[in-house]
Amino acid sequence: MSSTYETAGRRTAAAAPAGVRRGAAHWLVRVALVAGGFAACGFWWFAPVSAPLNAPGPVLTAAGRLAGLLGAYLALVQLLLLARLPWLEHAVGFDRLTAWHRGLGTNVVVLLVTHVLLVTAGLSFTEHHAPWSAAVEIITTYPDIILALIGMGLFLVVAITSARFARRHLSYEAWYLVHVSAYLAVALAFFHQISSGGDFITDPAARAMWIALYAAVASSVTWWRLVVPVRRWFRHAITVDKVVRETPDTVSVWLRGHDLDGLAARPGQFLLWRFVTVGHVWSAHPYSLSAPVLRNRMRITVKDAGDHSARLARLRRGVPVFAEGPFGHFTADTRRLGPVLLISGGSGIAPIRALAEQLLRERADVVLLHRASTPDVPLRAELDAMAAKGLTVHYVIGRRTERRGDPLAPGPLRRLVPDLGQRSIYVCGPAGMTTTVLASLRRLGVPPSHIHTEEFSLR
Amino acid sequence: MSNRRLAGLAGLLAGIGLLVAAKAAGGQPAHQQQAALLPVAPPTTQPATQGTPPPTGGTTAPPAGPHTVDGSVIDTPYGSVQVAVVFDGTKITDVQTKQTPDIDGRSVRLAELATPILRQEVLSAQSAHVDTVSGATYTSDGYAQSVQYAIDHSHG
Repeated sequence: MSSTYETAGRRTAAAAPAGVRRGAAHWLVRVALVAGGFAACGFWWFAPVSAPLNAPGPVLTAAGRLAGLLGAYLALVQLLLLARLPWLEHAVGFDRLTAWHRGLGTNVVVLLVTHVLLVTAGLSFTEHHAPWSAAVEIITTYPDIILALIGMGLFLVVAITSARFARRHLSYEAWYLVHVSAYLAVALAFFHQISSGGDFITDPAARAMWIALYAAVASSVTWWRLVVPVRRWFRHAITVDKVVRETPDTVSVWLRGHDLDGLAARPGQFLLWRFVTVGHVWSAHPYSLSAPVLRNRMRITVKDAGDHSARLARLRRGVPVFAEGPFGHFTADTRRLGPVLLISGGSGIAPIRALAEQLLRERADVVLLHRASTPDVPLRAELDAMAAKGLTVHYVIGRRTERRGDPLAPGPLRRLVPDLGQRSIYVCGPAGMTTTVLASLRRLGVPPSHIHTEEFSLR
Repeated sequence: MSNRRLAGLAGLLAGIGLLVAAKAAGGQPAHQQQAALLPVAPPTTQPATQGTPPPTGGTTAPPAGPHTVDGSVIDTPYGSVQVAVVFDGTKITDVQTKQTPDIDGRSVRLAELATPILRQEVLSAQSAHVDTVSGATYTSDGYAQSVQYAIDHSHG
């Protein structure tokens, strides 16, 4: 990935994860979400509305209302997917939840635009008015419609800034700030559903259920995304301890706090970090732990490739840190085979380094293969120290053009680690490297259940 | 956008179309089907029998005292309209609203605005000949038709 957002320790998207060992619970969640969609349609189907669907106007209006109902439901699902509900994180996983969120986004906006167009067209037909005067009539006669229109505008801005071409030109912070306004959009749109929506104005039970649904989502979001992180801050009081420059383009941030093992963050996992200081507080970033968590200290290691990560180097001691998580299934305890091969590229060294220390402590047979274009390997001293204690480390240095052929092609990989078939394999690195490694492993006949990787990218 | 996502979106929109078609084809609410059985204006012979029977009203002789006659149920694209007209002899003393368009908040709001005006017009005109309330054409027309039905059936 050539984008500027790639940072050390942030796992980048593997085009097709060859297999992340994980339960099938996510299917239950999928079924529940689809069932919820049908239940939302039920509000529309059983609404005690007495207008017959016997002319174009009423038919268009009915379709528009259904589109709006489904759009509203999906918008709530969008918020819920990222509400950090522990059981959802456990059943589905942060990476997949984020991917679902990204996939559903377009549907929400298309449904809402359809809703606006169809309702306007419906009124235009029924009243025999031109579409624009129907639009004026809607704005002037429907209760709370102005709020909903502002919400719609916000949704459109969120959608446009999330489109691929716009993301390339926007900083992560700008995108994030705009994206957060979707909460406001959902809230603004709520009022017209309750005061204008035919499904809810005449049926007190449906109205109560709809309000309860919004209240449930709002309280989940408030609790897990606001109250829990704040309470956690008071309990652990995490602050920046020091910033260490590892290589010209990589920094480690050491954090201190109380009772950090209470976070239950395992090596290989990441947290969402929010540094409470100018230039950082408005966005949270996912960075992997680059060492096992100690009782009052932990560390992340970040490649300074993006606007935010470059500024990490200037963090001062004592800056408060909010941490959400831990997230991720990229952990040692999910493996099937005892011996392990760790493959990292560039920035991916952070979680791999943490995993190596844990595995070494567990006296596992570990081979670490690190791919880098320059000899400046971050944390190299620590890796060498671990090598002295039994870790087998291979550094594969040099650009592909300088070397003959790709060192991660099936042949070279097998020569480096002849027994890779008997090892659980963890891969973390830039998307291109990950794709190459996964393809090579497939060619070498490694079953997907032996391979651990995580599809991950926040946007 | 990937093909899979595009297919999902297309499926969603097609599903909406199918549901609307299904509802238009047969899924009318129960009271709507009932209402469809009743004659819609202009009525001919059948007396108003729906709802609460008139407290004193017979259907064979012109009643002398106050009595209430239900109007017909008139469909509009925004929902049904029905009134009940209170007579004292042949004089219209009150018009009660039994049902007004309810498809969305706008219809409910417009009906709330229109019905007091329409009631006043019926009371002063002592007939169903009322001016359409601006912005509430369907409600006004339905209201007038329902009142007319009640007048036609007030004398048995």
